[in-house]
Amino acid sequence: MATRTRRRRVLIAAAALAAAVGGGAAVLAASVQPGPSPVRAVPGFPRFLAQAAPASWRGLGLPDRSAVLYYPPALHPIPGDTDAISVASRGPAGTYLLYLNATPRQGAESLRHWAAFRLHLLREDDASSVHLDAAATGLAFRGGTGSCVIDDYVSRIGAHHYREIACLVQGQAGASVVVGAAPASQWAQARPVLERAVAAYRVR
Amino acid sequence: MSFIPKHRAVVLGLLAVSLAGCGGAAAATHVGGTKPPPPATAKAHMPVQQTPAAVKPSHPAMTPTPAGNPIPQGNGGDHDVDNNGGPSDGDGNL
Repeated sequence: MATRTRRRRVLIAAAALAAAVGGGAAVLAASVQPGPSPVRAVPGFPRFLAQAAPASWRGLGLPDRSAVLYYPPALHPIPGDTDAISVASRGPAGTYLLYLNATPRQGAESLRHWAAFRLHLLREDDASSVHLDAAATGLAFRGGTGSCVIDDYVSRIGAHHYREIACLVQGQAGASVVVGAAPASQWAQARPVLERAVAAYRVR
Repeated sequence: MSFIPKHRAVVLGLLAVSLAGCGGAAAATHVGGTKPPPPATAKAHMPVQQTPAAVKPSHPAMTPTPAGNPIPQGNGGDHDVDNNGGPSDGDGNL
């Protein structure tokens, strides 16, 4: 009985938090799959199911061959770090409409503390403000296990407001980060494509 | 059991942190086309979970977290899109 009451309280609190966070993502408990890492979720993380990319999508492997990023034909590779891969679609004024990036793990990222790490990095590096929207750990990826965070931030240059889903994925050959981002104002349209790309991300 | 008197250990520890602080500041201001190698513990205050890909830091307690924004914006840093107002990439340091 006590457990049932506690569960109800948790669900009520989760619902309240999800409503406060907004963003349209409301599925909670079903989003997390069992895995080796402790499962902790911030309410609002969407249901996640790793799956192969659509047949029309293209694949681009990391130079170290530890992962493959799949993306739709509307996106194109753009210059970036030599050890990473980035694809994007841009508007007439050069603004980023859809952005995907994969980078081998470089710092002190860990599955357990990925969300905190990512937000801290954004604050230190690119963003004038950062807001956590949702997070989950213990997600089953193709070939590995990952932790993901959904957040939004305002860039220091240009004050662009982006929303992103960023995941640290651990495979047998190593760990890497996959990021899908879009202007926050267009997140509703971009989200299905970005989430599908993250779900198709394959690590070795 | 300690091989160093307690007060002397404290002094040595403070000296080590001071020296590490000087090195961290120098690394944080690096600008160039080639990305510098990540510091052993760029986020020393972040809890670290060991993974197969993790590189064991040589001096985990001596590398301070950079204060403020270490990356020159406006096509600075490694010239990524995130140094030019674009979305942030997935690198762990820049």
